[in-house]
Amino acid sequence: MTSRPLPRSVVGLALLLPALIFLVVFLVLPSVILLSYGVLTQSQGGDISLPLTMGSYERLVVSETYRRVVLLTLRVALVTSLFTALLAYPAAMVIAYGKPIFSRITMILVVAPLVVSVIVRTYGWQLMLNNSPTGVLNWMLHALGTGPTPVRVLYTEWATVIASVHVFLPLMVLPLSASLGRINPSLNEAARILGAPAWRAFLRVTLPLSLPGLVAGVTIVFSLTAGSYVTPQMLGGTRGLMLGVLLEQQINTSFDWPMAAAIAGVMVVIALAANVGVGWLAERHALVRAQRSGAR
Amino acid sequence: MVATAQASDLAFSGLTKLFGTTRAVDGVTLRIAAGEMVALLGPSGCGKTTTLRMIAGLIEPTEGDVLIGGMRITRTPVHRRNIGMLFQNYALFPHLSVAENVAFGLQMRGMRKALIKPKVAQALSLVQLGALADRLPSALSGGQQQRVALARAIVIEPTLLLLDEPLGALDRNLRDSMQVEIRQIQQRLGITAVMVTHDQEEALTMADRVVIMRDGKLEQVGTPEEIYSRPTSRFVASFIGTCNFLRGDVIGQEAGRPQVRLAAGGQIALPSPANDQKEVLVSVRPEAISLSAEERGTPATILQIVYRGQATHVHMALDDGTPFLAFLPNRDGKPVRSAFSTGDRIWASWSPDSNWAVSEA
Repeated sequence: MTSRPLPRSVVGLALLLPALIFLVVFLVLPSVILLSYGVLTQSQGGDISLPLTMGSYERLVVSETYRRVVLLTLRVALVTSLFTALLAYPAAMVIAYGKPIFSRITMILVVAPLVVSVIVRTYGWQLMLNNSPTGVLNWMLHALGTGPTPVRVLYTEWATVIASVHVFLPLMVLPLSASLGRINPSLNEAARILGAPAWRAFLRVTLPLSLPGLVAGVTIVFSLTAGSYVTPQMLGGTRGLMLGVLLEQQINTSFDWPMAAAIAGVMVVIALAANVGVGWLAERHALVRAQRSGAR
Repeated sequence: MVATAQASDLAFSGLTKLFGTTRAVDGVTLRIAAGEMVALLGPSGCGKTTTLRMIAGLIEPTEGDVLIGGMRITRTPVHRRNIGMLFQNYALFPHLSVAENVAFGLQMRGMRKALIKPKVAQALSLVQLGALADRLPSALSGGQQQRVALARAIVIEPTLLLLDEPLGALDRNLRDSMQVEIRQIQQRLGITAVMVTHDQEEALTMADRVVIMRDGKLEQVGTPEEIYSRPTSRFVASFIGTCNFLRGDVIGQEAGRPQVRLAAGGQIALPSPANDQKEVLVSVRPEAISLSAEERGTPATILQIVYRGQATHVHMALDDGTPFLAFLPNRDGKPVRSAFSTGDRIWASWSPDSNWAVSEA
C-alpha cells in the first residue's frame, strides 16, 4: 500500500506540538494560576481562594510605600534606558562604520559583560561602589582630590542604574549598530556637502534613520531593567527597592502570595507597555510624517 | 531663475592620494574654467571618483591643492565648501519629503523659513517637480528622484556642481533625456561642474571637455571631438568608442603627408606629419570605412556580419590576421547583409583624414 503525504498543516501542527505542550504546561498554566492569585483572597491559614478582590492591586496603588516602589522601578528603567542609549550610539557607530579591526574589538568589549555571571558581576560592582573610603570609586575620587567626603552610591537606585547600564549596553548596541549599518553612507555625505556640520548631520539624518534600532534597544533594556531582581537586590538596598525585590519579600518574608501575584501582574503590564508603547510612539511618528507628506 | 551663482573656476595642482602605498590619484594638475562642465572618464580604479571626492572634501588629499576661484580650499571642511553634488544612488533623505530634502541645504545655511519656501518652490519647478513637493522620495521614480537631488544641489547656489555617475542607475531612454536636462540646467545657471562617469557616451554628450584618466594620472584632456578623433594613445582610442589599429612603417612623404606601408598590406597616408618615428600605430574608426568588392584599398576577409539597427557591423581579418571592423550605415533600407556575406574577399577603403597615429600604450 502506498502512503499518501499528510497535509502540510497537519505536519506543521505535529512538529509544533511538543514545544506547545511544554509551554502550556510550564509557562501558560503557571502564569494564569499566579496572576489569578492576585485577585483572590488569602485566609489566615494561608489558603488562597475566593472571594475575588482587587485589594492587593489597590494596596499597590494606594499605599505610599508600594506606590513609591512602582515609580522608582519605572524611573530606574527609564534612566537606565537613557544612559544606555547615550553610551551605545558612539559604540554602535564604531561597529557600523569603523575599520573592521576596530569594529571587531569594540564588539567584543561591548559583549564582554554578558559572559560574566550576574552574581560575579554584581559583587564586582559592590567592591567598586562601596560607600566606605576603601571602595574603588571613592578611593579614585579621593586620589583625584575631590575632597574627603566619600560618595554614597551603593545601596541607592544609582548603583542599580550603573550596573544595569553596564550589563544591558550590548542589548542596546547590537540592534543600534544593525540599524546604523543599514543607512546608506552617502546620506551622511550628502548632508555634509549640503552644509551640515557633523553633529547636525547626525541629528537630522543618522539619528532619525536609526530609530528602529533605538526603539528595539530601549524596549529590551527598559523591560529587563524594570523586571530585574539580582542587581537591585544586591546593589539597590532599601533605598533602591524595586518591584522584583519587593515581590521576593512578599513571598519569602510576608508570605503574602496575592500581593506577590499583584506585583507580578504589574511587572508584566510594565513590560508589555514598554514593548507596545515605544513601538507605537515610533510608528505614530512615522505615520504622521507619511500622512503629512501624502505618500501612499 | 533659481541660482545665479557667481561662476568660479576650479583648479587642482599636483593632487595626489595614497591609499596605503597605492597611488589612487597621482599628481593631477588641471584647470577648469568658470561655467565649464568637465567629465572625468576612465575605467574603474583609475582615480576619477577619488579625485571627485577630494574636490568635495570627503577625502583629504595626501598632497596637492584644490582651488576654487583662486582660493585654496584643500583644508576647508566639507560643509563650508558650498558645493552641490549628485550621487549615483541619489542619496535623498528617505525620512524627509521632497520639499524638505530641497530645503535641507538652505536650513543648514540658517536661512529664514519665509525665504526658504519660495526658493524650494522655484528649484522644484525648474526640475518640473513642483506638484510632488509633499511626497516622500520612496514614492518617486528613479528619474524623479535624481531631479529632486538636482534641485537640492542647485538651490543652495553652489559655486561648484559635482556629479558622481549621476545617471548610472537609470535605464537608457531616461538617461538620454536626463543627460540633456542636467546639461541645460547647468549651462543656464552657468555653474562650473565636474562629472565622473565610466560611460563614454555620457561624457561626450554632456561635457565641454573630457578628461581621460588612467592609473591615477591624466591620460588626455580635450573637447569631445578632440578626444574622439585625435586620441593620443591606443588606450584612449579604444576606451572612447571602437577603433581599428593598424601597424605600419613610414616610407616617405608625399604632398606633405607621411606615407605608411601597412604590415597587413596596402599603403595609407597620415593627415599630418608623424613625429619622426619609423614604425607607427594608426587608428581608424570603423564608421569611416567603406567596403567594396572592387580591388581598391586594403584587402580583407569577412568573418561575421552583425545587424545592429542603425548600422551593420562587419567583422573582418586583414591578410596578416589583424582584426578589422567596419560600421556600415543601414541607410536605404537595403540591408548590407545582402551585398556581402561571410567568407567574402573584400576591399576596405577610407579617407586619409580618418587616419590618426597613436602611441602604443
